[in-house]
Amino acid sequence: MKRMLAPYLAFAKKSFLNKSAYRFDHFMGILNTLLKIFIFWCIYRTLYGARTEVDGITMAMVTTNFVLSIGLDALFSVNDYYLPDRIGNGSIATELLLPVSFQGRMLFENLGNTLFKLFFHFLPAVVVSALTVGILPPAGAGSFMMFVVSALFGYGVLWSVSYLLQMFSFWLINMWSLITIKNVFINVLSGSMIPLWFMPDWMAPVLKVLPFSSIYFTPVQIYLGQLTSQEILGKCLIQLGWIAVLYLCGNFLWEKGKKKLVVQGG
Amino acid sequence: MLDLELVSKFILSNITVHIPKGISVGLIGASGAGKTTFLKLACGLLSPERGNVYTFGKNPVENRSLLGKKMGCLLEKAPLFHGERSVLDNFRELQMVHRMPETEFLKEYRRLAECFDIGKQERELVKNLSFGQRRRAELVAVLLHRPELLLLDEPTTGLDETAKTVLREILQERIQDGMTVVMTSHELQEVSRICQRIMVLKQGTQMYYGEEAALLRQYAPMDCMRLKLSGRLPDLEDLPVKQYTLSGEELKLRYNSNHVTAAEILEHVLRQTSVQEITIKKPDLAEVIRNLELQEKWEDRQS
Repeated sequence: MKRMLAPYLAFAKKSFLNKSAYRFDHFMGILNTLLKIFIFWCIYRTLYGARTEVDGITMAMVTTNFVLSIGLDALFSVNDYYLPDRIGNGSIATELLLPVSFQGRMLFENLGNTLFKLFFHFLPAVVVSALTVGILPPAGAGSFMMFVVSALFGYGVLWSVSYLLQMFSFWLINMWSLITIKNVFINVLSGSMIPLWFMPDWMAPVLKVLPFSSIYFTPVQIYLGQLTSQEILGKCLIQLGWIAVLYLCGNFLWEKGKKKLVVQGG
Repeated sequence: MLDLELVSKFILSNITVHIPKGISVGLIGASGAGKTTFLKLACGLLSPERGNVYTFGKNPVENRSLLGKKMGCLLEKAPLFHGERSVLDNFRELQMVHRMPETEFLKEYRRLAECFDIGKQERELVKNLSFGQRRRAELVAVLLHRPELLLLDEPTTGLDETAKTVLREILQERIQDGMTVVMTSHELQEVSRICQRIMVLKQGTQMYYGEEAALLRQYAPMDCMRLKLSGRLPDLEDLPVKQYTLSGEELKLRYNSNHVTAAEILEHVLRQTSVQEITIKKPDLAEVIRNLELQEKWEDRQS
């Protein structure tokens, strides 16, 4: 098992170390996250005005939502062009001949990046935000633990969405528009731009049938203690369900795409 | 090691070939004859439309990753390296992929890097390398994990004479150790030097598979003998010589080596006159290709 995992752990380590080589880029990334949080905080501060809460949602809750979801957004930096780039430059052929799983490599390289960002991007950004705009503490130790678990699952959902989408590059030459649309959906429907509490009632069934709220909003709700134990379990199962469905659909397309390559020759 | 049974794919049609372990095969033919398609079928990057391909006794399409450890593939339009990373970084990645222990990696890498003279470029980004430097690094990459089967598509492109010699020596050494090599090249001299067997493809059809000597006898049997005479012109009427020309003291003879040998001609000539100098030019693989192309043009005109 250890020998089997060794190359993947090495991929993760390598991408972790590679990430640390680009210091300027890294600091700009933290600044970008802080600016985003600050801008959203200013907008909602203005919208709230003198009110302490809107529909039972306080400004502190909104701020906490932004800090956590924008922080997680920075943490979960999935490379949507991993496969499209390889199909574009022809190196997919080389990758397919390597004695390692392509998906495994894709995941672990991303995990290495994410681990780096956890320590050197997410945590500093959250600490600075907590000291400036302020965030609420977790509802309890259990909530915090479940927040971590749910955030992990949220990462799984985001990675699986990207994985599924990237598979279309076997048939599409330009993936930019599709990836942009996906990012718009994630920004709007995951709660990172507009907290989902403020979505109109008619949106609720739409959000339920889409995976996006599982990415950031579910962990935030758990962190704030808005869900009962049973609801937490239900939401986590939904997250796992989305990971399974998206990954299986992605795998189906992966097999179809590979077949297209070996039949048509790329 | 590599078996194709009545395989058809794109231009390739009904290819049947058995390549045993430790044999080097050169695929030759005009551009578009199906050489690269053959290599892609062998490594599992293409599936046959008809027939079966077995690499190490397995279907390569279904066992591509499994066979990846035993194969080394250098294919045109399939870059082996990430351009934004250094050469050494790319090799380190291959070490991980092939699960090579550090000592084994360093031993192989240092030796190959020295042979192909890429040590000075190992810290450079791959995108900054010249085509020749990149090709040398790619050859190190495919040889690094000591594959049992090496598939090379035009490996000598971009190599200088020194690098070609190094490649030839390393391949010959590895072939002696049991590695199987299938390579395509337009540099027929290199194919002739490296490969024990030749496979000729003509518009996707397998024209020949076997040893080079037999190929030359079949497709380019015309030898050329030049004799510098010091005596009178001999009578050649009894000899089955295709053509002879006399220019000054030099007599040039073209003959089919399947019908008459150089020894027989010489014996005949020396019985009648004396000779100062003898030069015999045997045809090479280039002549095989030229003859095939001429035959193809002739067939086109006929149809």
